[in-house]
Amino acid sequence: MKIIVCVKQVPDTETRIRINPEGNGIVDQDVNWVVSPYDEFAIEEALRIKEAKGGEVVLVSLGPDRAQTALRNGLAMGADSAVHLKDAAFDAADTMGVAKALAAAIKGIGGADLVLTGQQGVGGDHSQVPGLLAGLLDLPQVTMAIKIELGEGKATVTREIEGASEVWETALPAVISAQKGLNEPRYASLKGIMAAKKKAIDVKDAAALGLAAADLAPLTTVASLELPPARPAVRMIDGDPETQARELLRLLHEEAKVI
Amino acid sequence: MAERDVLETDVLVVGGGPAGLAAAIRFKDLLDAHNAKNGGSKLEASVMVVEKAAEFGAHNLSGAVLDPVSLQELCPDFDAKNAPVSTRVTGDRVYFLTENRSFRLPIVPPPLQNHGNRIISLNQLVKWLAGEAEKRGIDLLAGFPGAEVLYEGDRVVGVRTGDKGIDKHGNKKGNFEAGVDVRAKITILAEGARGSLTKSLVPRLGLDKGRHPQVYSIGIKELWEVPKGTLPRGEVIHTAGFPLEEDTFGGGFIYGFTDTLVSIGLVVGLDYKDPLLDPHGLFQRMKQHPLVKPLLEKGTMVRYGARTIGEGGWYSIPRPYADGVMLIGEAAGYLNPARLKGVHLALKTGMQAAETALEALIADDTSAAKLKAFDDRVRSSYVKDELWKTRNFHAAFKNGLWFALPQLGLQEITGGHGLEDPLEPSAGYAEMQTLARYWGGGLGKDSFERPKADGKLTFDRLTDVYNSGTKHDEDQPAHLHVADPNICETRCKEEFGNPCERFCPAAVYEMVPKGDDPKQERLQINFSNCVHCKTCDVMDPYQIITWVTPEGGGGPRYDDL
Ligand SMILES: Cc1cc2nc3c(=O)[nH]c(=O)nc-3n(C[C@H](O)[C@H](O)[C@H](O)COP(=O)(O)OP(=O)(O)OC[C@H]3O[C@@H](n4cnc5c(N)ncnc54)[C@H](O)[C@@H]3O)c2cc1C
Ligand code: SF4
Repeated sequence: MKIIVCVKQVPDTETRIRINPEGNGIVDQDVNWVVSPYDEFAIEEALRIKEAKGGEVVLVSLGPDRAQTALRNGLAMGADSAVHLKDAAFDAADTMGVAKALAAAIKGIGGADLVLTGQQGVGGDHSQVPGLLAGLLDLPQVTMAIKIELGEGKATVTREIEGASEVWETALPAVISAQKGLNEPRYASLKGIMAAKKKAIDVKDAAALGLAAADLAPLTTVASLELPPARPAVRMIDGDPETQARELLRLLHEEAKVI
Repeated sequence: MAERDVLETDVLVVGGGPAGLAAAIRFKDLLDAHNAKNGGSKLEASVMVVEKAAEFGAHNLSGAVLDPVSLQELCPDFDAKNAPVSTRVTGDRVYFLTENRSFRLPIVPPPLQNHGNRIISLNQLVKWLAGEAEKRGIDLLAGFPGAEVLYEGDRVVGVRTGDKGIDKHGNKKGNFEAGVDVRAKITILAEGARGSLTKSLVPRLGLDKGRHPQVYSIGIKELWEVPKGTLPRGEVIHTAGFPLEEDTFGGGFIYGFTDTLVSIGLVVGLDYKDPLLDPHGLFQRMKQHPLVKPLLEKGTMVRYGARTIGEGGWYSIPRPYADGVMLIGEAAGYLNPARLKGVHLALKTGMQAAETALEALIADDTSAAKLKAFDDRVRSSYVKDELWKTRNFHAAFKNGLWFALPQLGLQEITGGHGLEDPLEPSAGYAEMQTLARYWGGGLGKDSFERPKADGKLTFDRLTDVYNSGTKHDEDQPAHLHVADPNICETRCKEEFGNPCERFCPAAVYEMVPKGDDPKQERLQINFSNCVHCKTCDVMDPYQIITWVTPEGGGGPRYDDL
């Protein structure tokens, strides 16, 4: 079984984000880049399937040089090989451009029995790439997976919906995107990290994927980006319990206007 | 239980600070040179560095003014290779501060003269060194703390890394990953000040026999972004006096790191007497001083951190070698207390250990007798010269600043001897006096009031903790072990007023109500705030706190500190 996992490198949620002077992106400097947590679920799931059924796990990531760290991470967890899509032409690509590049890469390595992604890339939170990818590859898609069971040529997928869950069956190959709860990703082991250093990462540019500038022209652009308003300081209420309760009630009523 | 992996390497370095990375880089360079010369009989040898931080550099905090002497030896072309050390010292000033005034010393005392030095961020330098190490194919493993030393008899044979995936009750989680036994012919401990493995190894092997106890300080630092023109790039300011009382060792530093970044910090001796002393609060007061405030008030604080510094100097350094092991950098105590400089000695002793390690591997003899060559190298180099001249520096402060000054003058003239040699220091925690003794019984714990923070110039500890970027998975056992929490609730509260609530710069220790009786309190350990400074391990008056390594990758993120 060949499983391809699409991996995105994103800022750590603890990173203090700064907006660039153009107001349409973030300042890269001093950002701590990590594998998007949802993609970690996808990698873990792929590894578990491989451990149960045999096969191979291939990672694909689109991004600048630093994206290799994310791929090394996945390789250290136990993936077999990795493809890095890197080209200055990708810089301006929107979700459609990214999905086109990923689709071309997946086709380029002969397709897969299963394509796993995170259900969204933390940070941008578009949730678009998995759907676009399925469309471009002409494959069925199941989103928000919290459980995946593989059968012969098909998969039974439990997906999370508001307040409940539902079970879908899909033919394989398919694109399945991982939701929190699917599994608990493993740590990269020391041995795994050492072994990952010896695994080669295949780097491909737009030309190698057969993509021209026109294919990557963005259909959408970020008009502006703003930080959320600063949170007001925490206020401590002094006094004995009764005074505190009264004051809290007053504040909730008069200032916060929630009761 | 899952089988524990075993990994073999020739040289294992524990701690990827300047000392550890210099050791690894030097070892690889020497090995390659050796093999180039001896085409026929090549030595195959691997070197590995394990570091507890998630990334190299993330836990490294310093002032820092770098004396580039040893960097020059390690990487002669460091400037051409864009080592992040480009800010040259352009001005040196020393002030004595009283609460509202400042007196500039007409001359800068020789140990504080910094001509030819560079102002650096240790975090940046370590990242760069890690890059150099990576280029040489050295195995760098970030996120793997050395949790335990492996022995065979009294011989060190490696280190066990920390387990991952243990929940707060001590049970294995689904993703449990057992620590690995990394077995090495030579283990080099480079954990920096108050290393947790070093702390247990030194007494076990009796390496501190006949040596003075190490004495420490805590250094608290913030990085500020200020408008250009506020403080010239390259300007170095040191202060003595305010906010420290005359009986407390320490001083302030303010460095013009770049055109718009100012490094500011306060060093407080961890042999202070007043149990109510609050280093973090004192640092806030320092920033309000009329000399300091104008430098910061138009700026914003961008990073915070704290770290202990071993200031005992020459007489406090344990025997730095035993069978299969060497101690380098501040793990051993190689720091010049008069200059407050350890980075250049960390780099140098790392290189000297590497030279010794290669010789030992070639001779296939890694016994203490062979590794003694490391100590010989130290003693015949500028490391010893520098440390010998300042061997009584910290001890001179035993009776306060005013007694220290004439003694230091005399030491300067007599090559370090002074009035008495050696001046014996006592362990710092033993200097702390009880509330009753220091405050004559008049003052209790309740009389301590934390200074109010304005959120612009001065900050409370939680705001500062946030700015240290520290983070630990909350679902793990606390990595601060208190041997007998009962003492905290009873004796310590009474005698010292729970000084851990004050000396911890990250608000980790908190006495909280135990039940309905407001007089009954218990210790709560907010371990996820910890910035790995090790102050508690050093200064707790009952010596019942032990800092152990938390799950790998946890801890601060000292960007640009
Ligand atoms: C506020 C302050 C100001 C200073 N100013 C100056 C200055 O101006 N000039 C100067 O030269 N020096 C200065 N120093 C001293 C200098 O920073 C230190 O001497 C120097 O960093 C020591 O280097 P090291 O490699 O021995 O230890 P460290 O820099 O402390 O590095 C030790 C490394 O080991 C890691 N580690 C520790 N334990 C373990 C473990 N068990 N397993 C895995 N990893 C571990 C740590 O995470 C860390 O990365 C200052 C120090 C402070 C705190
Ligand atoms: S708990 Fe100890 S090591 Fe951690 S920040 Fe506080 S004093 Fe420092």
